[in-house]
Amino acid sequence: MRLLLTGTALTLSALTMGGALAQTEDLSGSLTLWSWDIGAAAMASNAEAFEALHPNVDIAVQDLGNAQVHDRLLAACAAGGAGLPDLVSVQNRMAEVFWLQFPDCFTDMVELGYDDALAAEFPDYKRTELEVGDARYAMPWDTGPVVMFYRRDYYGNAGVSPDAIETWADFIEAGQRVMEVNPDVVMTQATINSDVEFFEMIGHENGCTYFSADGNTIVMNSPECAEALNVVRDMYDAGILTAADWGGKIQSAAAGIVATHMFGGWYEGSIRPNVPEEQAGNWGVYRMPAVNEGGPRAANFGGSAFVIPAASENPQLAFEFLRYALGTPEGQVRMLQEQGLVPSLLSALEHPYVQEPSPFWGDQAIWSDILATLPEIMQVRGTPNYGEANTVMTRIQLDYLNGGYDSAEDALAEAALQVSLATGLPVQ
Amino acid sequence: MRLTKQQRRRRDTWALNLVILPLAVVWFLPIWAMIVFATMPDSGIFSPDVTLLPSTELMANVRALEEETSFSRTFLNSLVTALVYATLSVLLTSMAGWALASYRFAGKVAVTGILLGTLTLPFFVVVIPQFILVARDFGLANTWFALIVPPLFNALGVLFMQKAFSMMPNELFDAARVEGANEWQIFIHIALPLAKPMLAALMIILFLFSWNNYLWPLLINTRESMMTAPVALGSLIGVTRVSWGSIMAGSIILTVPMLVLFILLQKYFVSGIAAGAVK
Amino acid sequence: MPLRTRVAYFFLAPFILIFVLFWIWPIGYSAYLSLLNTRGAVYSFNPEMNWGRLLLDPAFSNALKNTLIFMVIQVPIMMVLATLLAVALNSSLLKARGLVRFAFFAPVVVSEVAYAAIFRLMFNADLGIVNTTLASLGLPEVAWLSNPASAMAVIIMAVTWRWVGYNTIIILSGLQSIPQDIYEAAEIDGVSRIKQFLRITVPLLKPVLIFASVLSIIGSLQLFTEPFLITDRGGPGGATETLGLFVYRQGFNQFNFGYASAAAYALAALAVTFSAINLWFGRDRP
Repeated sequence: MRLLLTGTALTLSALTMGGALAQTEDLSGSLTLWSWDIGAAAMASNAEAFEALHPNVDIAVQDLGNAQVHDRLLAACAAGGAGLPDLVSVQNRMAEVFWLQFPDCFTDMVELGYDDALAAEFPDYKRTELEVGDARYAMPWDTGPVVMFYRRDYYGNAGVSPDAIETWADFIEAGQRVMEVNPDVVMTQATINSDVEFFEMIGHENGCTYFSADGNTIVMNSPECAEALNVVRDMYDAGILTAADWGGKIQSAAAGIVATHMFGGWYEGSIRPNVPEEQAGNWGVYRMPAVNEGGPRAANFGGSAFVIPAASENPQLAFEFLRYALGTPEGQVRMLQEQGLVPSLLSALEHPYVQEPSPFWGDQAIWSDILATLPEIMQVRGTPNYGEANTVMTRIQLDYLNGGYDSAEDALAEAALQVSLATGLPVQ
Repeated sequence: MRLTKQQRRRRDTWALNLVILPLAVVWFLPIWAMIVFATMPDSGIFSPDVTLLPSTELMANVRALEEETSFSRTFLNSLVTALVYATLSVLLTSMAGWALASYRFAGKVAVTGILLGTLTLPFFVVVIPQFILVARDFGLANTWFALIVPPLFNALGVLFMQKAFSMMPNELFDAARVEGANEWQIFIHIALPLAKPMLAALMIILFLFSWNNYLWPLLINTRESMMTAPVALGSLIGVTRVSWGSIMAGSIILTVPMLVLFILLQKYFVSGIAAGAVK
Repeated sequence: MPLRTRVAYFFLAPFILIFVLFWIWPIGYSAYLSLLNTRGAVYSFNPEMNWGRLLLDPAFSNALKNTLIFMVIQVPIMMVLATLLAVALNSSLLKARGLVRFAFFAPVVVSEVAYAAIFRLMFNADLGIVNTTLASLGLPEVAWLSNPASAMAVIIMAVTWRWVGYNTIIILSGLQSIPQDIYEAAEIDGVSRIKQFLRITVPLLKPVLIFASVLSIIGSLQLFTEPFLITDRGGPGGATETLGLFVYRQGFNQFNFGYASAAAYALAALAVTFSAINLWFGRDRP
């Protein structure tokens, strides 16, 4: 076994052998899976492939929307697991609250065959939130290296080259030029009314987190966070950033009234299928600008994992499906190809598909560009208190953008105080 | 100059109708928009020169909705829940109302007082323990019991039926007692038939309440097969892959039967609401 | 036990069983929960934790503020409108009465989810029909759901739209029980319609108005579905988060049952207080 750990290729062959063995075992039974949006679609195509390999297996994929999956999983766990399906996706950053509140609600996958060899196939940062001691409650699914998705034509009209955008100040200046020559187009949009994704992405890029690495201290009042919050404010004040929720952002992209969207790489799968044909070739990708000149230009946003509830009547089959869908390059690359989900399986990143240029993206090999940021990403643990921090920060940010605080430092001091009140954790 | 009576009347008629009729049109607009949007693809709904005239995509929207959520199944769940709920609730509240109206007994004042007291209590004060009790302690999440039984408590309904029964002439019941009828027989064979219009009013209001109930079914059902239609529809709002046309189609499927029922049974609706038959 | 008491309790029993199981016990258990630290898998006794936090938590005071603003603005608007509508519908001068009744009463039967969906759609900032209409009239467009004040306005409009007919029905039934000859006498004395309304109708309607107001106040304190679905869980940034939503979020999103129970108790205290105030105003003065 130790040998397997040393080489990815060896592990791979072991995995495919495992797959072959599983086939001969003749798996059968039915599974139900909860997930959301393109993730559900991606797992549905893997389910089809798995059903083709194992004709006696039947997998039903239900797309409930992100918030619903979270709320219903919690409610069902509180009800002792009643009504839970065999597989549920959870966001990494939200995951820890589940193990803290309802450890008995989930299957420890080690018992099903999630061994060290398979675990080593995933990066450590994806696993820290999913494992408690020796127990492995969830298997990593996708990851979210942040990039800027932009309209080549709108930038081009304004004579803006993405290569010249190195800092957020450059981005704002470019945004003003883009908006001048492209009437009715806004440079970018953020969900400032119900989330703080820009603050979190820019914050992570800049080394700002809500909690310390051990999760026991609130550190969101740091200078790095203040810088990030001010970047959001500068964009908002310059008028190059407007409010739009998840659905609104996609509608804007489809209607051609936005020049840039910033999100995790998985957003590729939300843009490409949702915009009209004539936009093909007009989109491209570039790196996040830095907060300070020469500073880091990479962050992670989003990324999820799968759990097998203890209430599942078919945990072994559920695990075999996960092993196929998440634990083989075949399964992961299928999701990348079809829905743009960025694999967290390390070996999948070496797949030839990653190097291919994409016509929709103006023949840019976007995946190699997006994945190139991975080594520079500072990893951030969600902690069980992520939900509280996110909610508080959403309100504070909106207040700050509308002039409710004199400075970012004041706003963040208030936010830290409120999170402390909610969680009982000390502020640094 | 003093206006004559006719002139005043004409002036008042104009003033009244000029205000109320346009307001009525505005009031009906959301329902009309719902119906029209249900027949449109999203490109029509979000067109800058949107017209409020029906288009042709109704069936396509309904089919898409059915594919997404098995809407017909959730519709059936809602229908069964509302029917059973309304029937049971009418029975329970009229029994309790009968007890309060017909007998003097120890604790009557206390029972009435407590009932009146609960009228002001919001559902939120019991929702969490109800959830813990039904879902965790009884282990009855995703069952008909969980959907139907916990919301059965309805103090206003009891008071409504108490009022209905106490307005009936007592001689009628006494005569039956003399002839040897027992109390249950009197209740079932004399009192309930006399209260038919009130029962109908109560039944309709309770049916409507259950049909539209959102929070409790949202919490207590995690299984797709037990989901009620409003919860299924609510889960589609804000999910990008579902078109607004389909959501609107679901909205009218939930709404139009109630509108028809309302037109046919307006009298009962009105008397039920006027008496405040449901909290 | 006397026979009639036994008979009475026989009839009451099923109802009381439901009542005790699903209301009395929960009310007590909720109070107990509010004293516990429920942030982990094992609950521990810590009364200051939730109640202390409640007093200091800006998110709670925000929800409280929103709920009160909503109540203070929405309930009076709706009651005035409902009273005027009831008078109009009761008037022989009104044309097309059947259609007008239908237009105002129909929203009462529309499913909460359905009407939340249509309002969210109509008030969509970029492409909703309200803004396209405003634009075609040359009026400025409003970012309805992303501005705190206008989002609250949308919720107020939506709830008023749905419930005004309900209150009109209650008030109308009160109007119809006022004897017609009072008005005839006033008419002969040359009292104007407005004065008739203020001096006769309103005082005689008082008990009905109080009843409708109490129901509306309790309803407004329980506001949940509209901000949950129309403004996407109380957005923008909590600007329409109500106490009901707060209880839901703490209870079923953060899974902090203890804190949610404390908030629910605060909500109940408000409901009881406001109902009592209302009833006190409506009491029969000697």
